[in-house]
Amino acid sequence: MKRLLGVALGILTAIGGFVDIGDLVTNAVVGSRFGLSLVWVVAVGVVGICLFANMSGRVAAASGRATFEVIRERLGPRAGLANLSASFLINLMTVTAEIGGVALALQLASSVHYLLWIPVAAVAVWLVIWRVKFSIMENVTGLLGLTLIVFAVALFLLKPDWGVLAGQALAPAVPDGETVPTYWYYAIALFGAAMTPYEVFFFSSGAVEEGWTVKDLVQSRLNVLVGFPLGGLLSVAIAGCAAVVLLPAGIAVTSLSQVILPVAEGAGKLGLAFVLVGVVAATFGAALETTLSSGYTLAQFFGWSWGKFRRPVQAARFHLAMIICLLVGLAVLATGVDPVLVTEYSVVFSAIALPLTYLPILIVSNDPQYMGQHVNGRAVNVLGMAYLVIILVASLAAIPLMIVTGAGS
Amino acid sequence: MTSPDLVPLPPVAGRILDAQLHLLDRQVLDTDGVPVTTVDDLELSGPALGEEIPVGTPAPVLDALLTGPVLGTRIFGGRPPSSRLIRIPWKDVADVGVVVRLGVRGGPLDAGWVERWVRDKIIARIPGGRHDPR
Repeated sequence: MKRLLGVALGILTAIGGFVDIGDLVTNAVVGSRFGLSLVWVVAVGVVGICLFANMSGRVAAASGRATFEVIRERLGPRAGLANLSASFLINLMTVTAEIGGVALALQLASSVHYLLWIPVAAVAVWLVIWRVKFSIMENVTGLLGLTLIVFAVALFLLKPDWGVLAGQALAPAVPDGETVPTYWYYAIALFGAAMTPYEVFFFSSGAVEEGWTVKDLVQSRLNVLVGFPLGGLLSVAIAGCAAVVLLPAGIAVTSLSQVILPVAEGAGKLGLAFVLVGVVAATFGAALETTLSSGYTLAQFFGWSWGKFRRPVQAARFHLAMIICLLVGLAVLATGVDPVLVTEYSVVFSAIALPLTYLPILIVSNDPQYMGQHVNGRAVNVLGMAYLVIILVASLAAIPLMIVTGAGS
Repeated sequence: MTSPDLVPLPPVAGRILDAQLHLLDRQVLDTDGVPVTTVDDLELSGPALGEEIPVGTPAPVLDALLTGPVLGTRIFGGRPPSSRLIRIPWKDVADVGVVVRLGVRGGPLDAGWVERWVRDKIIARIPGGRHDPR
C-alpha cells in the first residue's frame, strides 16, 4: 500500500513538475500562431525526455554518478569545460526566466508590479533550497503544479470544434500568414521546451540526492513513462486553449496574461484562481530545479561536495555557487528585460545545447564498467540513436533558422 | 622505436590502470564517501623533462594526485611551479573504481582548503547553515 502511494505520488509530481515557464510560454505562443499543427513536436519531445531521463536515472542509480561527473570524465577537461560553460549559461538563462515567471504570475494575482516581486521570488527560492527537505520541496511544488489541469478543463468548457482541432493536429500544415522557416523555428523551440537539459541534470542528481539504487529503477521508470506523457498532455491543453481563443482573434502571445486569458474565458474566476496557483507553483518549482541544477553542474565538474541531503556547511561551495547564480539572475531581471522574451530564447538555446549532455549519457549508459548488467538494451539503443540524429539536426538548424526568421517574429 | 638499452617491463602483479582512462578526471571520495575533488592531474616521480636518463634508472612511479590550479594549466597549457601544486599522496588512495576512494578523511587534506574557507567565512555565518535538512 505504501509502495502504491509512493508510485502515485511520484507520477503526480512528475506531471505537475513537467510544465515550466518554457512550456507555458512556448505552447501558448505556438497555439496562438499555428493552432495545433505543431502538436507532433510535443509528442517527439516527450518520448525524447522519457528516453533521456530514463538513461540518466539508470546511470545515477547503477553507478551513483550524476550527469556532469560523467561528462567531465568522458570528455576530459577541455571539451568538458566548453560543455560546462554552454550548459551552465543556458541553465542560468532558464533560472532567470523562471524567477521572472514567478514574479509575473504574482503580478497577475496581486497587481503589484513584477519588478517588486522579483527579489521576493529569489529570496523564497533561496530559502527553500537552504532549509527545506528535498522530497518535500519536490512533492509540494509538483502537486500544486497539478492545478494546471485547469487548462484541460477550460479547453472542454470552451466547447471548441473538436473536428477542426483534430484536423490541425493530425494533418499538420503551415497556416496562412506564417512562413515555413518560422514553422520549423517554433518546432525547435517547442522541442527545446519539452527536452530542456536542466531536467536531466536535475533528474540524475535528484536520484543521487534520494539515494536511488537499482531497486528503485522500476518506480522511477514508471514515474517517467507515465508522468511525463501526461505532463505532455497538459502542454497540448495549453496550446489547445490558445488555438481556440487566441488564434481566431489574431492575438499572438507576448505576455503571461495572454497565456492564461483562455482559462479565464473558459473557466471563469475559479479557473483563473486555479491557473494562477498552478503557474506560480510550476515556475517556482522549476526555479528551484534550475537553481539546484546550476549548483549541481559546477560541483560535479569540479568534484565539490554537493547535495541538499548534506548540511549547507558540508557543501559550502555548492551553496555559495547557487547564491551567486540567484544574484546574477536577479541582476539580469533588474535591468527590466522581459522575462517572456528571455524564456523564448532560453528554450531555443536549450535545444542547441542538448547534444552536449545527451551524447555522453548515451555513451556511458552503454559502459559496463559503470552500469554492470544495467547497460542499455537493444531497443533503447535504437531509439537512442534515432534521437541522437533528431537532437543533432535540431541543434544545428536552430541558429540559421533564428537568423532567417528574426527569432520567429 | 624501442631502444635495446631499456630495462624490460617488470612483471606486474594486480590490476593495470590506465592513467587517462581510470584516473584522470575521476571523482575523488574520502573514506566517508564525501566528495573531495576531481583528479585534475597526476604527479610522477623520476627525471625531469629533458634530463639525461642513465641506464638502469628505476621506472617512475605515481607519487600523488594533483588538484587545484593545475586544472587551469591542463586546459590552457603551461605548468604551475611545484610549490603551487596541491597534492593528495598516492598512499592515501584506497581503491580505484568508477571513483577514486581515499583511505583518509577529506577534512584536513590540503585539497579541501577552498571548501573550508568558503564554509568558515561565508556559509557557516548564514543562519541555518548548520541545519540538517533530513
